[in-house]
Amino acid sequence: MELLDFYADWCGPCQMLKPTIEEFEKAHPEVKVTSVNIDEDEELAEKYGVSGIPCLVVLKDGEEVRREVGVMPLKKLEKLVGV
Amino acid sequence: MEKYDVVIVGAGMAGLTAAIYVARAGKSVLVLEGKVEGGQIINTVDIENWPGDMRVSGVDLIRKIKSQVEELGAKIDYVNVVKITPKDGGFEIFGDMDEKFEASSVILAMGTNPRKMSDEQTKSAGKRPISYCATCDGALYKDKTVVVVGHGNSAKHEVKYLEGICKKVYNIHHDEPIPEDAEAVFVAIGRIPATKCAEGLVEIDPSGYIMADETCHTSREGVFVAGDCRVKDLRQLVTAASDGSVAATEAVKYIA
Repeated sequence: MELLDFYADWCGPCQMLKPTIEEFEKAHPEVKVTSVNIDEDEELAEKYGVSGIPCLVVLKDGEEVRREVGVMPLKKLEKLVGV
Repeated sequence: MEKYDVVIVGAGMAGLTAAIYVARAGKSVLVLEGKVEGGQIINTVDIENWPGDMRVSGVDLIRKIKSQVEELGAKIDYVNVVKITPKDGGFEIFGDMDEKFEASSVILAMGTNPRKMSDEQTKSAGKRPISYCATCDGALYKDKTVVVVGHGNSAKHEVKYLEGICKKVYNIHHDEPIPEDAEAVFVAIGRIPATKCAEGLVEIDPSGYIMADETCHTSREGVFVAGDCRVKDLRQLVTAASDGSVAATEAVKYIA
């Protein structure tokens, strides 16, 4: 499993979500978490058609299986990823 | 099951201020939040009407308040409350992932959510992205054409903000179709109170706001309301904080 976390520095909800992402990373080392700054990596944001942030995309074997836009607590994030 | 003197539903300005007051009164208090603390203000970059700060971001302000709340001994838990029922003179509070809590008194501080577009208008948007926050998502549409739905103050603010980023910004009413060349839709047609979990527990007005006067007492003894989800004229950070202090003081009096 892999989690892409699309964010930007100017996005308040993204900043609020950051500690939850960090907590998730600590609790689930088996999931590869990549935080993508959409201002620095526009290409990747475009590839995944990111239209609102924070945007969380769950990948399985490199293929997108789920996504959600907006802040959420750890339990909901775990449910989204499926761990 | 966990039992508290006061359970507060919602960790925006009203709920967190209430938590400060309840904790300082020496009572046990739990704040339940479905998403993340802060509520509406985490979308605001520059708050200029919070006394003591000429300019402060919603995120910075809420982080300070959160650490204050925790230092005072109040607990915050991330639970989406779906139902509250009276039980043996107190209350049971239920979350959407089977969580359950007990409290002697409850403070409702759920705030509001953005009002969604009509089904017809949503249909005319097709698969184009819909956003409820220009400052969050506007930068994704640099040099593109977008549309803002709504004509109130917040809609005007969104239009002005987006005009600084986008190539073209349409501004339409809530009953008009989405223009064909708009690549994204920004909706600003008001807000609706997030009071579903309080239905059947307290009296709610036809617009969804919880009925209570300045004392923050709801129609049910032991249940108080604070902030934007209460019937009131002015919804601001300071009035939310004010409600929080009143509701907490009344709740503490009630359980004494």
